[in-house]
Amino acid sequence: MKRRELLNLAVAAGATTALPHSVSVRADEPVTPPVLPALIDTNVSLFQWPFRRLPLDQPELLVRKLRSLGVTQAWAGSFEAVLHRDMSAVNQRLADTCLRYPELLPIGSVNPKLPDWQHDLRQCVSRFHMPGIRLYPNYHGYTLNEPVVQQLLEQASAASCLVQIAASMEDTRTQHPMLQVSDVDLTPLTELVPRIPQARVQILNYRPRLPASAALAATAGICFDTARVDSTDGVPALVRNSPPGRVLFGTHAPFLIPEAALIRVHESDQLDATELKAVYAGNAQQLIKRSHA
Amino acid sequence: MKSTGAFGLPSSEQLQQYRIWDSYFTPAHAHPGSDGSSRLFADVERSLPAIRKAHMEKLCYFAHVGIGTTTDPDFEKLVASRPDLVLKPLQQWPDLLMGMIQLNPHDVAASLQALDRWLKDGPMKGVYFPGGGPAALTCTHPNFRPLVERVAALGGVIMQHTWFKTGGKQGPGESTPSELAELAAQYSQQKFLCAHAGGEWQRGIRAIRRVPNVLVETSGFDATAGFIEMAVRELGAERIVFGSHLPSRSLGTELTKITAAEISEHDRRKILGENFRNLLR
Repeated sequence: MKRRELLNLAVAAGATTALPHSVSVRADEPVTPPVLPALIDTNVSLFQWPFRRLPLDQPELLVRKLRSLGVTQAWAGSFEAVLHRDMSAVNQRLADTCLRYPELLPIGSVNPKLPDWQHDLRQCVSRFHMPGIRLYPNYHGYTLNEPVVQQLLEQASAASCLVQIAASMEDTRTQHPMLQVSDVDLTPLTELVPRIPQARVQILNYRPRLPASAALAATAGICFDTARVDSTDGVPALVRNSPPGRVLFGTHAPFLIPEAALIRVHESDQLDATELKAVYAGNAQQLIKRSHA
Repeated sequence: MKSTGAFGLPSSEQLQQYRIWDSYFTPAHAHPGSDGSSRLFADVERSLPAIRKAHMEKLCYFAHVGIGTTTDPDFEKLVASRPDLVLKPLQQWPDLLMGMIQLNPHDVAASLQALDRWLKDGPMKGVYFPGGGPAALTCTHPNFRPLVERVAALGGVIMQHTWFKTGGKQGPGESTPSELAELAAQYSQQKFLCAHAGGEWQRGIRAIRRVPNVLVETSGFDATAGFIEMAVRELGAERIVFGSHLPSRSLGTELTKITAAEISEHDRRKILGENFRNLLR
């Protein structure tokens, strides 16, 4: 994208200040949010990653960083959900914390291998009014072709609830040696999702690899985030190889540095202003609207 | 103090002040094209938007010079007889590119000859030992001794590919930071670059911490938060060198490890360019 186009985006949105940039964030340091076009991060997590402390693993620091980058809304899951089994408490803490920050949209977690997972889904939808749930099949020990996944997807979709599936959380090569999990095999989704016409599924932290990525992109109801789409032109390639509306901006912060995904969308200058707006916010707005419908 | 820039990047002025020198540019890293350069040229072109956005001053890539570092015998023969093909990228982008040669420690004699041809007589700045492909050999192997000694005598830089992979090595020729530390400890006057900081950098940083002539290179893995903060804390900023891994990795992934880290601007400048320039002096 040309810098002029970036500026046009800002002007179109009434921007009068500079575009977002990388800034240091400290709890005691005021951050003036720049005025920007809408920017929606569909993939952040709150609280502590189980295996090390992260610079932004306190909600106030993460939110301040996101604000400094111009993020207007962030769909927030919880790192606690990866290993905790008291999912009701996990979702309660997430909901309570998100209430303190208007940018944060809580995305609860459901583990269909736990007894009475339906209760967690009901709580997410009815009690916490969450627009979506997030699944961690590799950490929770199931595959996507198990019958319970279809049940979960049907129930979530009946409640107009978006389902995010974390294809990975960390490069398999760098995982803790005592807790190794493979990336999620996503291929069952190409048969499962078409069976549930109203299903809305977003795959997070996915590294597109042909031909699997083409089959997923060809499946209506499946979309992606950008958090681990690498190479200098990886995001434009995913956009071009997917039907419109399928690629949503996501950072996987605070595990990954949020600026990384932000730059990756535009660094190769291959997406035009319309495509950039769609990736940075428009596609997410459409998806969440459909999920709430 | 960083100033405003566009969508995650520091400002143009700030980026220029950093004077970014990239130690790990990987256009057509495994094979530059059967004609000797076309694939490499295409990958450089593909990287140029990101290179310009970051205002990078110099990028160092790793040339194949016909000593068995690819799996293509026709290419090896061609480039061994046509040194002009090796020089083509440097001639095309003389202000932007610099090079190191990929060595093949399985073939010590050919590698020593290549050192004379490309390092002693120029224009290459150092050598690269790969972690995969036909030239990969664990760096504690005795074949490394004569090569390291020759590079040291010629004043070159050594970049060694390293990874600590959970579950173990994926190829017999891979090297870990621990193995590089073992090699480097025997040559205290020679600088070694630990490419990718071992990938699993929490272990990688620890493995080379006590060997001061080893520096870590920053590319080749996700933009995992906290890496540079730990590296500065444990090694000092002077032992960290920026790499882009473009175009197979991205500017976003690699540059933000440094530009978004909670470190001083002084340290950022060192990591982004100053340290690598010092190594090449």
